[in-house]
Amino acid sequence: MNMPVAKATGRFSETVIDEEVVVMSLDSGDFFSLTGTARAIWELIDGTRTCDIIVVELAGRHGVDPKAVAADVAAFLDQLENAGLLATG
Amino acid sequence: MPDFASARAAMRLMAAETRVTCGAVPASLGGIPVGPANSRLSKGEYLLHTDTGYRFHYRKGAGVTVDRPSDPDPAEEALWLNGSVYAAIASINGLMPIHASAVAFGGYVTAFTGPSGAGKSTLVAALGQAGLPLFCDDTLVLDLSDPGRIVCLPGHKRLKLTTEAIGLTGAAREEKVGAMIDKFFARPPAGDVREPLPLARLVFLEDGPEPAVKPVAGAQRLALLNDDHYTAELFALGQGLDLAGRFAALARLARQVAISRLVRPRGPARFAKSTTLAAAVARGA
Repeated sequence: MNMPVAKATGRFSETVIDEEVVVMSLDSGDFFSLTGTARAIWELIDGTRTCDIIVVELAGRHGVDPKAVAADVAAFLDQLENAGLLATG
Repeated sequence: MPDFASARAAMRLMAAETRVTCGAVPASLGGIPVGPANSRLSKGEYLLHTDTGYRFHYRKGAGVTVDRPSDPDPAEEALWLNGSVYAAIASINGLMPIHASAVAFGGYVTAFTGPSGAGKSTLVAALGQAGLPLFCDDTLVLDLSDPGRIVCLPGHKRLKLTTEAIGLTGAAREEKVGAMIDKFFARPPAGDVREPLPLARLVFLEDGPEPAVKPVAGAQRLALLNDDHYTAELFALGQGLDLAGRFAALARLARQVAISRLVRPRGPARFAKSTTLAAAVARGA
């Protein structure tokens, strides 16, 4: 939880269409559409922020208690990792 | 008025690159044999061997060489040259072919895309009755050299329709396409456009119970564009694009062009309504 979260550079391509960030895995060719909170989390992942910091920043933007969003953020980061979009190790 | 100088240069390039000579055609490309009903595109060359015995070879800068079968059919030869061979030459030369028929309105192009038999030609012919001139039939070639806009090259093929489609659309019937081809060349009711124009919108034709236009947003745009495997892969091969490069090309289309779906039942009963909807889309309504 305290390790910085980083994108798997070189393993995806992304673009913004309308209000969506569209990410394609270069491993699988699968598309992922990120909107709203998912897009915000994706854009907070910069290789320096930890999961805890992302939670705090996201909660701050929405004026809610970090505990209220922590589980959802962790679950979404798991999804990104399982899709091969996050650097591991 | 923009002069679309790059697209005009591309038109001249295509005219030069599609020149045809008769002669011997290699049996393989890059050491890989290309048998009947097969083709291969690699490093500025394209080799096509049809199941009827035609063999076409294109090499960048050298034009097209045709090796005809013992019983050549000029109509069939023209179909190959204007179809698969033309799309391959465009792809090798940095122009993106899309499987689409298109009309023009207000200085912009609206293209209707879908698989073979989706009704693209019939629809654009019918739009002529609504005063929309034909821009291209079946293959739309895009010039991507201006990052600010996507410019379309005017069609290189004559409109081809079945007898039923001619009756539906009011197009003027001309000669039969070929002895073995059950279609006729046709003159579109509102004429055609011979100048390059920017692409405004792309409409995917789909079958459905009720005529309706449905806008497409975000990732769905990319997913639809990605489904047009034939032309997307041909362009990627022609340009040596990897998956990321192909994504970038499709993403650009998805960002710069409005995309919608025209859902309609097939057959004459609801044809007028779906044509009216398509005309409204093409007019930007």
